[in-house]
Amino acid sequence: MGASRQQKLDSLKEKIVALETQPVLAKADERPAGVGPLVTPRGCVHEIFADSLVNAGAAFGFALAQAKASLSVERPGLLILQQKPDMQEVGLPYGLGFRAFGLEAAAFVLIRTDTIVELLWAAEEAIACRAVGAIIGDIAYPHKALDFTASRRLALRSAAAGASLFLVRYARDREATAARYRWRVEPQASQPPPFDERAPGAPRWRLTLEKGSLGAGRAALPEGEQYLVELTENGLVLADIGRDIARPQIVPALSHAAPAPLGNRLPKAG
Amino acid sequence: MLHLPRWATDCLKRAEPALATSTRPLVLWERQRGAMKIVALDEAASATGLFAGQNLSDARAMVPDLEPREINREYLTRTFSDFAGWHSNASPIVSILTDHAAWGDLVLDITGVSHLFGGEETMLATLAGRLETAGFSVCGAIASTVGAAWALAHFDPGQIIAEGAEDDALSRLPVAGLRLDAERVEGLKQFGLHSIGQLYQRDRRALQARFGVSLLVRLDQALGWIEEKITPQIAPADHLVERRFPEPIGLIEDVLMTAHDLAIALALQLERAGIGAQSFHLFLYRVDHKVMTLTVNAARATRDAAHISRLFSYRAERLEGEYDAGFGIDMIRLAASEVSPIEPVQTGAFGHDDGASNLLDLYDRMSSRLGAMSVVRVELVNSYMPEQAVTLEPAIAAASPTTQAPPVVRPRPVRLLPHPEPITVIAEVPDAPPSRMIWRRVAYRFAKASGPERLGAEWQQGTHRLQFAGGSLPEMERGYVEGQQTRDYYVAEDESGRRFWLFRLGLLGIAAEPRWFLHGFFA
Repeated sequence: MGASRQQKLDSLKEKIVALETQPVLAKADERPAGVGPLVTPRGCVHEIFADSLVNAGAAFGFALAQAKASLSVERPGLLILQQKPDMQEVGLPYGLGFRAFGLEAAAFVLIRTDTIVELLWAAEEAIACRAVGAIIGDIAYPHKALDFTASRRLALRSAAAGASLFLVRYARDREATAARYRWRVEPQASQPPPFDERAPGAPRWRLTLEKGSLGAGRAALPEGEQYLVELTENGLVLADIGRDIARPQIVPALSHAAPAPLGNRLPKAG
Repeated sequence: MLHLPRWATDCLKRAEPALATSTRPLVLWERQRGAMKIVALDEAASATGLFAGQNLSDARAMVPDLEPREINREYLTRTFSDFAGWHSNASPIVSILTDHAAWGDLVLDITGVSHLFGGEETMLATLAGRLETAGFSVCGAIASTVGAAWALAHFDPGQIIAEGAEDDALSRLPVAGLRLDAERVEGLKQFGLHSIGQLYQRDRRALQARFGVSLLVRLDQALGWIEEKITPQIAPADHLVERRFPEPIGLIEDVLMTAHDLAIALALQLERAGIGAQSFHLFLYRVDHKVMTLTVNAARATRDAAHISRLFSYRAERLEGEYDAGFGIDMIRLAASEVSPIEPVQTGAFGHDDGASNLLDLYDRMSSRLGAMSVVRVELVNSYMPEQAVTLEPAIAAASPTTQAPPVVRPRPVRLLPHPEPITVIAEVPDAPPSRMIWRRVAYRFAKASGPERLGAEWQQGTHRLQFAGGSLPEMERGYVEGQQTRDYYVAEDESGRRFWLFRLGLLGIAAEPRWFLHGFFA
């Protein structure tokens, strides 16, 4: 009895391994999308968890920063999915605030659905479009329809099509999921800006990568790899103590700066 | 021109089969100046000598087994409008003439259509015949002007008048055939002018002086001297394809399959014309004289049959309870509108696809499945008020000319609450950010804050009122008061790093008591 049970378990495990390494998922584009400290391959499903609805800003902000990195010239589409009843709970995405992320105020399309099933349908439909770079699904409450099967479907779809899906969720409980990465986002007190001690500075978040790995040789804690990041003009920057402390990458404002003598003779702007 | 003199009673009889089989005369009454007057009668009632305008109590005394019903004008008008729409299966331009009554007069423009029915006589006979079998009493006539056809249908039905023969045909008809109101007709009769023919020789200026210009206009319209325009019930489409069924169909799957076939035919038609369309309408003609319309819109002009039929199938998924085939559908028509030219494009092996077309197609599909207002993009508006500075427009609607939005230099939240939520603020200092707040029954203690950013209410939008979760402020009903609706916005960060966007409403000293609201969240 015991042996057959063991055999059965072994064969099941083998099957799961075979499923996990199926060509579809293995074929997913492993090239990272964009640059930065937290790059992930495109065509993955991410789950971004906040402990409660109060942290909605931080979780959505991190999702937006990651989504921005997945956009490219070939894939300019950014879609945000939300359920109509959740809008007053967590707030509408506000275009003018997207400028802090380096996005245009009108750079996204908002999809408001009545039910979670419609939201999942819209997500699947959007993943299949090859001009869509990133999709953010903002889901305020757990739903039965969003189970392992649903996330597996979405994972296979996004691996095949190449769009990244970020599911922003608010709970302490974790369900079984087929998402490749699962993040937990907690806001952190910011460093004050240089000239005003009492004003809030650039946003900081503590990220715990509960599932998946960025594989940067970082020692994983039992709960997952941890990062402390700050959102700057140049995107996400690690704010950890240790070797990864990054000073902001210096990006020249102009690709070809005019040499000084020439600059003097340029016509006055305006 | 089709005239249904007994539409009100016939329509009621169709809706209630028990009425149709009973032999009791049916009348419809209406309360006019406190008296119950008869306004419509069926044939049996007319035969007993009752007439419209009679008191209901008199009629009851004359005909004891009368079946009186109160008239429902709204219902009758609506069903007649459906009925008129259904007639677009005979002619593309169908209109209701409402000069005389809200229902009963139907005009069909049969220019270039009659040969499909085998000539004008057969067409008239077919149209009238199919209504008679359905239980409607109907009189019809064909003429080259609306006025002449109206007069003939009412007073000499069954006639077909060739162009130019209106004078003779109308000369014997009574003056009521000119669509005049009862007062004018009475006036003409007092002068001994009973038939239309008597008017031809009269001095026009005298007629105008006595009876007003409308008499001459009606006369000229009937004789074809001036043009009369009719407003079609359903806007005519230049490009349409249709299919009739020998047996009515009912299943939505069959309808969608037909829509796909029609889309292919329409796409060929559009391609030949070198155009594409942005709106597609599927008309389903039901056996019981109703038309159902499904409309889908595309973000850019298209003639891709697969895309069009996919939009319809998504639109149909959203129908659920709305779809009711009744006793079946016997004709389906697919029409295209909002056409614009599309240049033929060679699909090349080396072409560079920027993906924009894919995105627009995606928005089309989502809009047809979820509704146009569910797939929205952001448009900036010229306003400083945060909730008005951004509007949501359907993603498939054409972009409106961009207005100059005011520059925003201070930080804006990444999430905005559609309705600001009232909060309780503790330890308040005038003109300084609060140190604690209670929001949704939880207390937060702020460690850092910046502000204020003062936004004055826009006087030019004096009617705009702040709507927050749970109501609006009563004192704002009095209109614009300087400083009362001014908001001071603060960015506040609590001890664990959450950032909120708060505002205080009303300047200190002007507002009765300062109120605090939470309006958004920062990342």
